Amino acid sequence: MAEYSLLIVEDESTLRRLLEYRLGKEYNVRTAENGVEALALLDEEIPDLIISDVMMPKMDGFALQTAVQEREDTKAIPFIFLTAKADEESRKKGQMTGVDDYITKPFDIDRLISRVNRLLERTKIFQTQLDAKIGQDFSQKLTPKTMPVVSGYTTHFYNVPKGHGGGDIFDWTETRPGTYFITIGDVMGKGLQAKFYAFSFFGYIRSTIHTMLGATDSPAALVAGVNQALVNDSTMEETFASLLLLRWEPEHNTITYANAGHCRPILVSERGAEIVTYSDIVLGLTPNSEFKDTSISMKPGSALVVYTDGVSEQVGKSDEMLGEEGIIKVVQNAYGHAEPIDAMVQGILDESKHPEFDDDVLIFWLERLTSMDRQTPRWFSPFRDVAEGS
Amino acid sequence: MQVSAMDFLVEPVSGDMAVIRIGKALDFRNAAEFKNTTQEQVRNGVQNFILDFTDTGILDSTGLGSIFSLYRQVSPLSGQVVFASVSRPVQVVVQLTRTYKVFRQYPTVDAAQQGMK
Repeated sequence: MAEYSLLIVEDESTLRRLLEYRLGKEYNVRTAENGVEALALLDEEIPDLIISDVMMPKMDGFALQTAVQEREDTKAIPFIFLTAKADEESRKKGQMTGVDDYITKPFDIDRLISRVNRLLERTKIFQTQLDAKIGQDFSQKLTPKTMPVVSGYTTHFYNVPKGHGGGDIFDWTETRPGTYFITIGDVMGKGLQAKFYAFSFFGYIRSTIHTMLGATDSPAALVAGVNQALVNDSTMEETFASLLLLRWEPEHNTITYANAGHCRPILVSERGAEIVTYSDIVLGLTPNSEFKDTSISMKPGSALVVYTDGVSEQVGKSDEMLGEEGIIKVVQNAYGHAEPIDAMVQGILDESKHPEFDDDVLIFWLERLTSMDRQTPRWFSPFRDVAEGS
Repeated sequence: MQVSAMDFLVEPVSGDMAVIRIGKALDFRNAAEFKNTTQEQVRNGVQNFILDFTDTGILDSTGLGSIFSLYRQVSPLSGQVVFASVSRPVQVVVQLTRTYKVFRQYPTVDAAQQGMK
């Protein structure tokens, strides 16, 4: 939880200390003895709320409030006036300058605290709504609008971004006819910050693939390139990400991948489901991390399922995370359904503690059709038509 | 889900080494707290950190990210971050992200202290 910071401006030391003590239990409190000191503290750090006395030496509460209103970065801070002057005149003056609350001394400190709580709660709701809106916008840009269409294969995609969720990314590109690069990743962290870093990271991956493709089409080499860029760029210092990069060549029925600490994919067929085990370290940690390519041969009827940690970290009814073991079961049960991801999601949520996902969730299902699927369905057969017609 | 202990207990071992007790969880709720705690230690000259995961049931990617930040901070100073008494849930995360390649693991805090001397 974010801790709110308050600025208390009061010249009377006993009351100042009392407020500092009581409010300090719940909030980060800084105190000033007059308006001049308060303005100096505002230069250091912008508080979430200001409580100010009216009558003070050097600079009084009204002058402080006016100064706060004049500054672009402070004018939106909730402002509560405390005053000993119970007379109507100063109250009117206070209301005129647009304060959020006006409390007359002597006052009940519990009432003051509940007003502070209420004002901060309101600020928090505004912030959360704004974050969610921007977060949704980022998420939309971080996931594709279309899926590759390749004969002999089907693809399914599922993505539920949450405003407060993490930084999941997914992208695909046909680098030359018949060769596809599929990127799935997760930038560590939560909320808008993670989304923002994910957005920058997304650009890194695209440009790295684009620049390096002339020289190599090895996913491991490309992942190493992204890692180098991340580690060497000081603006991305706090960015750590898992990344799974797949090179898919449908004509050869092969997928070659490098996995930088991402959730391990599941390979499923009618014979069962298994984890695609090989992986290397996450990105952004060490400059000389090494990555290795691994190839998977896609047999008819087999499917590769990739996902983000929102799936594996979904909390089940017994408070345990789903984990790889849980995902294997769910994938196995979903295999063979016309909409396998829908079946997967249903399977997960049926066993979940909460009826929806706790975090961002992204799943990609890539399936090679069996040769049966590619045969012309019987009811299209002209011979049969003729036979039936005669 | 209620996790009461959000603070991290710091036990100095020597001038440049400290043990951080991780407690029940290191996740998005207290990762910032972990960062503040460890950054203060780094400012005071600590470069070698032993993270004690004995009681840890939850380590999510935000929490892990905060450990990574610490690693990025101390490794240019030739400092180390090691894991001690790693619980099963933490082991799962460490395996999945392949970070055992960077963070040495010790069975106990004592073994970690011996190993880092």
